[in-house]
Amino acid sequence: MRKILTLSLFLLAAPAYASEAGAEKTSLMSPNTGLMFWTLVIFIALWIILTKYAFKPITAAVEAREAALREAIETAKRDRDEAALLLLQHRAKIEEARGEAQRFIAEARTAGEKVRAHMLEETKAEQQEMLDRARREIEAERDRAIAQLRREAVELAISGAEKVIERNLDTDANRKIVETFLASIPASKPDRASR
Amino acid sequence: MQRRLFLTAALILGALLPLPALAQDDGTPAPAPANVPERVDMITPHIVDSHSLEYPCLEPGWACHLELPRWKPIHIGGLTIDLSPTKHVVFLWIAAALCLIVLIGGARAHGGSKPDESPRGFSNGIEAVVLYIRNEVVLPNVGHHGDRYVPFVLTLFFFILFANILGLLPYGATATGNINVTAALALVTFIMVEVAGMRTLGKKYIGTIVFWPHDMPLAMKLPMTIIMTPVELFGKFTKPIALAIRLFANMTAGHVMVLALIGMIFTFGSAFLGLAVFPLVMAIAIMLLELFVAFLQAFIFALLASVFIGQIREAAH
Repeated sequence: MRKILTLSLFLLAAPAYASEAGAEKTSLMSPNTGLMFWTLVIFIALWIILTKYAFKPITAAVEAREAALREAIETAKRDRDEAALLLLQHRAKIEEARGEAQRFIAEARTAGEKVRAHMLEETKAEQQEMLDRARREIEAERDRAIAQLRREAVELAISGAEKVIERNLDTDANRKIVETFLASIPASKPDRASR
Repeated sequence: MQRRLFLTAALILGALLPLPALAQDDGTPAPAPANVPERVDMITPHIVDSHSLEYPCLEPGWACHLELPRWKPIHIGGLTIDLSPTKHVVFLWIAAALCLIVLIGGARAHGGSKPDESPRGFSNGIEAVVLYIRNEVVLPNVGHHGDRYVPFVLTLFFFILFANILGLLPYGATATGNINVTAALALVTFIMVEVAGMRTLGKKYIGTIVFWPHDMPLAMKLPMTIIMTPVELFGKFTKPIALAIRLFANMTAGHVMVLALIGMIFTFGSAFLGLAVFPLVMAIAIMLLELFVAFLQAFIFALLASVFIGQIREAAH
């Protein structure tokens, strides 16, 4: 135990031995208040100066940059969302326009169809009318021709009879007989005045 | 078993002590025999602080020495402070100047004209490191409202990093391989941690010093408080001490390693020139490892500082 004590005492006193041996001699562990003082002064001065002129500007710049980047990213995100929304809207609009066009085409088709049907009908009607008219005219012509023919026949008959009767018969009585005969034939009334 | 452990520790510590100082303790130095080369400790002077700067020149040894001015020590109370600049003080200045140039230069590139564009090249690299420390180291560890502690941790990281790297340059000195420097940095961290605790916890901050379990009967509370309070206090001080020793030991060990290997180049080379290749290759390998360690230790110091701040802010929950 004593040995240990003396040894530790010797060790503790070692720097003192060293400094006794010569004023210049400094050992590895010798205390130096001046150096400690200088270290403190230099460190604290460095701390204050660097905080003000180096670390704060760097931190501020980095934070500003981070903020700018964050903002840029957010703006981009917002723009993208907006663009996506716009795209959706445009797509919907295009879809709508397409539907409308389709509808227009369909409408036009039905309208055309209707017009065609209408025209066809009209044409048919016109045709019918023309046919009818032609038939009526034909009938009228025929009637007229029949009437005329009849009149001619009457005239011819009369003139023939006249020739006969002129010779021997009472003309008026004969004419009456013939006319009565003619009246008995069923036919549309001949228009004697149209002659 | 315990004695053996102690002896091992003594051996390790003994190796750290300056050999010439021990040699002179024996009394008047005996004249060295002519055929045995004089033992010169080239490692310790290289690692410890001194009042002269080395700079490259054409004189033998390829180095000249610039004596730094000595000022009268100031007495504040019982404390004596020697403010005269030493080699490590000068290298701290250089590290601080490099921090200022690099970081303010990096910040300048962040012109206000184009806020949504990142700067190119080196400034972008600086920004990446700053952002990495901020987003991956400080904010997850410190917790909510961690932004307040970001500049502190960043300053720690860059300052330690530049001091570490300066030590790897020829004619350079590792200020972070000096226990006084690391102790001062750990002290600042300690104060920062405690202030963060006071700020966040308010009155509950006392709970991080005096252990007072709420969910126990009084008979249990008192002994628990008596036992646990020293443990809590001990824990408070262990963290910064571990920080200081970790950085100091890592930087010193690497340099001792490199210097020993460089010494072995000449020892091996004097026996047979071809043998010098092995320590040369190893020295290069260790130097590359040191470059990695320079970054790693700066990162670890920053990481642990933010972890400690986060721990004390979480303490109430």
